[in-house]
Amino acid sequence: MATALRLKELSKKEDLFTHGHRLCAGCGAPIIVKMVLLASDYPIVACSSTGCLEVSSCISLSTAWKIPWIHSAFENAAATIAGVETMYRSLKKQGKIDKDIKFMTFCGDGGTYDIGFQSLSGAMERGHDMLYICYDNGAYMNTGIQRSSATPFGADTTTSPAGSVIPGKLQQRKDLTKIMAAHNIPYAAQASPSHWLDLMKKVRKALEIKGPKFMNIISPCNRGWRSKTDDAILLSRLAVATCHWPLYEVEYGVTKITFKPKEKKPVVDFLKSQGRFKHLFSPENEWLLKKFQEDVDIEWERLQKEASLYAP
Amino acid sequence: MNKKVLMKGNETIAEAAIQACCRFYAGYPITPQNEIPEYMARRMPEVGGVFIQAESELAAINIVYGASAAGARAMTSSSSPGMSLKQECISYLAGSELPAVIVNIQRGGPGLGNISGSQADYFQAVKGGGHGDYRLLVYAPYNLQELWDITMLAFDKAEEYRNPVMILGDGVLGQVMEPFYPTPYTKPELPEKDWILDGCKGREPRVIKSLYMGEGELEMRNNLLQKKYKKMKDREVKFESYFTEESEVLVVAFGIAARIALSSVRRLRREGFKVGLFRPITLFPFPERELSILAGENRRFLTIEMNAGQMVEDVRLAVNGRSDVLFYGRLGGSIMTPEEVQKKILEIVHYRPHLSKTTFPN
Repeated sequence: MATALRLKELSKKEDLFTHGHRLCAGCGAPIIVKMVLLASDYPIVACSSTGCLEVSSCISLSTAWKIPWIHSAFENAAATIAGVETMYRSLKKQGKIDKDIKFMTFCGDGGTYDIGFQSLSGAMERGHDMLYICYDNGAYMNTGIQRSSATPFGADTTTSPAGSVIPGKLQQRKDLTKIMAAHNIPYAAQASPSHWLDLMKKVRKALEIKGPKFMNIISPCNRGWRSKTDDAILLSRLAVATCHWPLYEVEYGVTKITFKPKEKKPVVDFLKSQGRFKHLFSPENEWLLKKFQEDVDIEWERLQKEASLYAP
Repeated sequence: MNKKVLMKGNETIAEAAIQACCRFYAGYPITPQNEIPEYMARRMPEVGGVFIQAESELAAINIVYGASAAGARAMTSSSSPGMSLKQECISYLAGSELPAVIVNIQRGGPGLGNISGSQADYFQAVKGGGHGDYRLLVYAPYNLQELWDITMLAFDKAEEYRNPVMILGDGVLGQVMEPFYPTPYTKPELPEKDWILDGCKGREPRVIKSLYMGEGELEMRNNLLQKKYKKMKDREVKFESYFTEESEVLVVAFGIAARIALSSVRRLRREGFKVGLFRPITLFPFPERELSILAGENRRFLTIEMNAGQMVEDVRLAVNGRSDVLFYGRLGGSIMTPEEVQKKILEIVHYRPHLSKTTFPN
C-alpha cells in the first residue's frame, strides 16, 4: 500500500535529503527535493548536473543524499542517468535484479534549459524510463546570478544588468515545459513547492508511467531574486496565483490545468517584492511592466484554450 | 589615463581587451572567471560592442569563430572544465587560421575539481588540447600589470599570425586585486585582413575552412601551419630571468607560482644563497634555447608548479640531461607558500651527493 499523501502519514517517512547540506537559508531547491523523494514509495536513484544543489549537497566527503546519487558534468545529467537506467534494464533482463527502481535527475535551469538541453532532448527521444526534474530558479545562481534562458523578461542579473539604457533581460524565457511536451513524451508537468499536494501527486503519477517524464518546478532563490529569506513559499504561491507559473500537466498529449486560481492576481504582486524587478517600477519602465503582464495573459489564455480542447 | 588603478584580475583582462579595440565577447558562467562576462555585459554596450552570453562554452567559442571569420576582434573566456568543452572549436580556429583571444582562468581539476587557482591545464594549453597538429600562442602573466599588457598584446599577435592566442591565468590571478599602470593601447601595424568574409561583390570569393580532402592537400596545409609555428618559436619567445647567471640553484616557474618563487628567491639572495629564477612568459613558444644555455654541471634546476609536474617536462627537454632537474608542486588548487619553496630550494642547496645516502630530494 502506498503511503497516503497526508501530512500525518508523510511526517512518519524518512527524509531522504538530510540536514547538513550547504544550500542557502530560504532556498527552494531542498524543499522541492524533499517533497519529491517523500512522494515516492519506490527506491530512487538520482543524478544531478553541476549547480547549487549538487555543489551544496556533496561539498566535502559526505553527502546529504540518502539515496544512490551521482553527479555528472554540467551538460550531461540526462545522459548519465540514461546510462544508469539502461544498465538497470539490462540487469533486470538478465535476472540479476528484481527490485522496481525509479530513476530521476535533479538539475537547475542552467543545466536543463541551456547547456543540458541537448542531452535532455536526446534522452527523452530515446525513451528512457526516467523522470527529469528541473528546479527552475531562473538564473545561474551558483556562479553569481548570470542570466539563463529561464530568466524572466526584464530581470536584472549580472550579465543582463539593468541600467539607464538597457532595462535588464530583453528576451522572454524559454517555455521549456511546452518544449518537453512537444517531444511527445508520456508526461510533462509544471509544479510549485507552494502547492505541495499537487506537486507530490504529479511525482506519483509520473513514477507510475513507463517512459521519459519531465517536471519543471519553480524554485525561489532569495540571493538571485533579491527577496526576503523567508519568502520562498510565498513567492512560489504568487507565481502560481498570478499565472506567471501555471500548474498544469500534459499526459499523453492531453493538457490539463491542475490548479486554476479563483481570481487571477496581477503579475505585479509577484514582481514587487523582488529586487531583480525593482527597476521595472520606475516610471520610464512602465511599458516593461505592461509587456510582462501582456505576455503572462497571452500564455495563460493559450494554455486554457489548449486545456479546453480536452475538457470533459 | 596613466595613473595607477586598482582592479581585479578578471576585470583587468576585460578592460584591457576593450582598450585593445576588442568589440566582441561571447562567454558562459563558470567560477572563477565570472567577472569577465559580467564586466563585459556592462561595459560592451557603452563602447558599442557586443556581449553575448551563450548557452554553453561550446556555443560561446563557436560564436567567436563566426565573429572572427566576419572580421571582429573577438574574445572568449572560461575556466578549466569549460575550457575542455571549447577544445573542439579551438582546433577549428587553428585549422581555419582564425584569430581569437581565449582566456583560461584555471581552477583545480580533474573533473569538476574546485574553484581555487591551479596550473594543471599546462599540457592542455601548450601541447594542443584539441585534435590535430596545432599550437596556440600561450601567455602566462604573473601580475596584473603584465596581465593588462599581455591581454592587449594577445589581440595583436592573434591577428599577426592568424592564430588563436591563449592567456593562461589561474584563480588567484583572476580574483586578486592590485594596483597597476593601465598603459594606453597603441595599435601596431598589422597585416591587412584580406581573408575576412564580408561579402564578395566586386572581388574574388574567399573561403575559410579546415576541411581538405584532396590528395596531399591537408599535408600541404599542415606544413604551412608548422612553418607558422616555427616563426612563432623564432620570434615570440618571452621570458624574464632573475639572478640566473650567478645561480647554483635555478628555479623555473610560470604565472602565479613564479610570483611565489620570486619572493623565496629574493629572501634567499639576501641571506647570501646563490639562487635564481627563470620565468617563461610564453609557454608556447617555450624559451628552450634560453634555458638550454643556462644548463651545466654546476647548476641544478628546480621547477615549481601548481600541478603534478607538467612544464618540468619541457624544462628537462631544454636542459637535455646537462643539469639535474627537480620538481616541487602542489595539486588540486592548493597553493604553496614562499617558505615552502624556500625550504625546498635550501634542501637542494645543501644536498651533497657524496655525503648522503638518501636519494635526491624530490
